[in-house]
Amino acid sequence: MERAIEVEGLVVTYRGKRGAAVEAVRGLDFEVRPGEVVGFLGPNGAGKSSTLKALMGFVEPASGSCRVAGHPAGSLEAKRHAGYLPEVAQYYPFLTPLETLTLYGELQGLKGDELRHEAHELLDMVGLGAAHSRQNRTLSKGMLQRVGIAQALLGSPDVLVLDEVTSGLDPVGRRELRAVLRERRNRGCTLLFSSHELSEVEMLCDRIVLIEHGRLIEERNVEALKDELRRFSIVYRGQASMIGLSEEWRERSDGTFYARFTGKKGLMQAMERVFAAGAELIDVTADQGSFEDYFVQAIGRSA
Amino acid sequence: MNRRAVWPLARCVIIEAVRRKDLWVVAILGLIIMLFAGALGFFGMRGLEAFAKDLGVSVLGLFSTILAVLISARQIPEEMNRRTLCPLLARPISRFDLLLGKYCGAVLATWLAFAMLAAATAIGLLAFGVPFEPIFAQYLLLKMLGLAAVCAASFALSLFTTPSAAATFGMLLAFGSGMLSRAFVLAGQSCPSGTRWFYGLIESLVPQFSLFDIGGRAAGGWPLVPVSVVGALTVYCTMIVGAMLCLSWLRFRRRAL
Repeated sequence: MERAIEVEGLVVTYRGKRGAAVEAVRGLDFEVRPGEVVGFLGPNGAGKSSTLKALMGFVEPASGSCRVAGHPAGSLEAKRHAGYLPEVAQYYPFLTPLETLTLYGELQGLKGDELRHEAHELLDMVGLGAAHSRQNRTLSKGMLQRVGIAQALLGSPDVLVLDEVTSGLDPVGRRELRAVLRERRNRGCTLLFSSHELSEVEMLCDRIVLIEHGRLIEERNVEALKDELRRFSIVYRGQASMIGLSEEWRERSDGTFYARFTGKKGLMQAMERVFAAGAELIDVTADQGSFEDYFVQAIGRSA
Repeated sequence: MNRRAVWPLARCVIIEAVRRKDLWVVAILGLIIMLFAGALGFFGMRGLEAFAKDLGVSVLGLFSTILAVLISARQIPEEMNRRTLCPLLARPISRFDLLLGKYCGAVLATWLAFAMLAAATAIGLLAFGVPFEPIFAQYLLLKMLGLAAVCAASFALSLFTTPSAAATFGMLLAFGSGMLSRAFVLAGQSCPSGTRWFYGLIESLVPQFSLFDIGGRAAGGWPLVPVSVVGALTVYCTMIVGAMLCLSWLRFRRRAL
């Protein structure tokens, strides 16, 4: 399997008011390699959920195609390889989490002791071990999200498609979820998830796919993007010039100079200049940069 | 078709019907029937056996049909409202498997309610000292077939309209199919001969649920219905269920979720 997920020229339309067709996704192309963790980002209404639904075969593309684990999206073979967490689901209010997982497990083809064991293991993993016999209607939103996460992991799928995965989870729940997803990634599972929690994306993803108005804006490697967003600044005393090198260079009231740079390369060159001029280096600081700023700027550029 | 998917889905429908107390209502109704029949016996109102039997089968038919319509009309719309269809259809099952599982669950839950009501009616009638004729067993069998057909019609209607409209149409069809057919026959008879075939066609397309109800015969102690008629009704029920499930599938197979 060369690609875990392939989306080619995907167009998804819905019937809007007065029967007019509304394009939710407009010719989207991207792919996810096996074992990759990809964050699927975009503002509200960008077409993320529609794309994920097309990937699971819940909506039929007006044109283009999607493949999951090498099989056409929505086919039984594709579904055998995929786990899915919907954006919002209430699950069966009159079933317990254990019965809910048993239902989904049986539909997945699991049975007997294997199913019972896996259901209990997953409920423990998502922190619902003690609540496995309470009816779903008595669970909080966060607990229901955990039921959803557990059902998505049933049958150890090769590909996980998670829509708004952190929705309703508290900080502890998010941390536990990250641990669960990392464990799945270490097992070789491919993850594609949408989230508005950019810190989760930053901590978990290898790559991001950013869309708006149903179109791809850009795909970025997360480590490369972090490097790009990282800002370094130095404070020195002396006559070294930073012209053409720094984003910002100014003299401070105490007679020292402040300079700010993008990327490590700029910092190294600045330090060489400082030492060559015989100036005194007082301080070096690194600022991680904000994914949120990047997100807002990227969306702004595309508008 | 994935037959392994049908039972888990059907079981889920039955568990929900029990836990949301649909069947409790039936149990309470059954208790009322038993108490009523017991009261008739207690006050020594002999000679009212036929009335008691008629009342028993009428109440049985009425409440089981209402339950059949309500249980089946809510299955798919409720799944859509709760957004539980997506996690279900993310499993390796087809949309037809899902429809079949939900339909079978609705029929089994209805039959369970019917069995409870029938048992209550039987106990009540026995307490009143009313003997059972074999036609009562035939009545139960045919009523179960009729309920399966009513469930299929309400299930299909719920995919074309809102759940409340489906329940209303389902009730109208379940209780008024005979009247509707007679209306078409009369309309056909009063029309020019060239257009009669049209009314005949519509009349033949309306499911005849009243054919499955031999409550009046059972109450009156009529002789058994011939086996060939029971066989023909079984085939007719299968045709209605098949047609309704096909309609449901045609509507549902490409619906965006």
